[in-house]
Amino acid sequence: MPSSVELIQSLINGVGIGLVYGLVAIGFSVIYNASGIVNFAQGVFVMLGGMFAHTLLTTLGIPIWLSAIVSTIAVAGVGILVQILIITPMWVRKAPLFAIILATLAIQLLIEQIIIITLGDQPRTFPSFTPGGPLKIGEIALGYQLFWILGCGALMVYALTQFFNRTRMGRALRACSQNAEAAALLGIPVNRMLMLSFALSAALGAVAGILITPTQYTAYSVGGPFGINGFIAAIIGGFGSAPAALIGGIVLGVVQSGAIVFFGAGFKNVVALTVLLIVLLFFPNGLFGGLAKKA
Amino acid sequence: MTTASATPLIAVSELAARYGHIHALHPTSLYVAPGEFVTILGPNGAGKTTLLRAITRLIASSGHITFNGRDVTGLKTHQLAELGIIMAPEGRGLFGDMTVRENLVLGAFKAKPGELSGRLDKVFTLFPRLHERLDQIASSMSGGEQQMLAVGRALMADPKLLILDEPSLGLAPRVASEILSTLGLLNKEGLGILLVEQKAPLALKLAQRVYILSSGSIQAELPTNQIKSYHDLARYYFH
Repeated sequence: MPSSVELIQSLINGVGIGLVYGLVAIGFSVIYNASGIVNFAQGVFVMLGGMFAHTLLTTLGIPIWLSAIVSTIAVAGVGILVQILIITPMWVRKAPLFAIILATLAIQLLIEQIIIITLGDQPRTFPSFTPGGPLKIGEIALGYQLFWILGCGALMVYALTQFFNRTRMGRALRACSQNAEAAALLGIPVNRMLMLSFALSAALGAVAGILITPTQYTAYSVGGPFGINGFIAAIIGGFGSAPAALIGGIVLGVVQSGAIVFFGAGFKNVVALTVLLIVLLFFPNGLFGGLAKKA
Repeated sequence: MTTASATPLIAVSELAARYGHIHALHPTSLYVAPGEFVTILGPNGAGKTTLLRAITRLIASSGHITFNGRDVTGLKTHQLAELGIIMAPEGRGLFGDMTVRENLVLGAFKAKPGELSGRLDKVFTLFPRLHERLDQIASSMSGGEQQMLAVGRALMADPKLLILDEPSLGLAPRVASEILSTLGLLNKEGLGILLVEQKAPLALKLAQRVYILSSGSIQAELPTNQIKSYHDLARYYFH
């Protein structure tokens, strides 16, 4: 039986990684809300955020804050390119939704291969944003990066909620998700909204990748696991809602972290997937499905 | 009074559309003059909704459309809306999870910030009930209130031509009459209106001209003051 210190430590670690899953899950929700598309390339944005930031930081010597900003903008640009080059042409030709979703999977694999060719296949990391640590509270150790993850995660969710509920563009994005034809009839450029959703999702993924890299590592292959966990988080919370996706992420992170403490690292995904199945059995729309579509 | 010789507000020429191999709309021409109220009547499956969807570019079509004398054939739906061609679609097309206020504000998506309150005031004057329900979720309102919101939201876009697809569908006669009367008021203020409606008696009271659409083709164009009885129309329905 784990000690109380181990349990608290695991809970805190779970919340930290859960926030990262939550950001990825919100990325899924943003695109799904705007288009009905489940973008399985979402995890690749996480990988690109970490890889770009690492390259700017270590190769070009750019400070971390600037590397983070430039990387986030660059990954948002990749998201826009994906939307312009792949999604919109398929959308215009009225490709079935499953074909578009399959295309996003292909995009993930393609970008991974491009990263192997250009940046290599070796894992890499960079230091925590704030040097030193961890902060010790009794026997519990809190890495400084955890505070960055908590702070940035909370800030991003707050900003997104404000964006979706209080701004013209945010409302327009929600309108497109509910009735794209009616939105177009009011003068809302639906295609540009789709582009905005891809840019936003990619930026969210990038931020998640930049935040998590100092606590783990990044490599061409990390997109897959982050994408899957983000997807599970979105389903647990309830697809289509930013707060629900975030809570889904935290639930998943805590469950995974608890599974490691109680059963060992090998059971992390077994327990997480079991929880997913239980949630789907009893709450087919997710734990907070009622919040769906309301930012 | 309006005539075909003046530059029409909208002129549709040889507009045709099909779903797969089925011709839902044969080459069709019609116009609405500035400030005119035109109704399209026809039986179920006549192609009325297809015609409106083709005009607003919600579906692909061939043919030409001019608006205020400008060729707008190649424009997309949202670009037509920017010019002032606004449609309240069949089924109302509300953003059901949003509040009345949010729906109305979205109607004024292209408006400048200073224009919003004036447009809201105008809508509340026409439909006071919307003002009482500002923070209510749209999908939780009654059918009549939802239709008021659909029309009110369309008005928030400051239309030059208001297109409505069966606004009375599923409404109690009194409520339908109330909404159609409001359209009459708006037309008196100079707003061009193109209305698809199945409730012929109500629509004919308001319109200056009527097109009869059947089997995807326009069967007749009549000034409403020349229609003596509804039997005059029936023969066009079943040509």
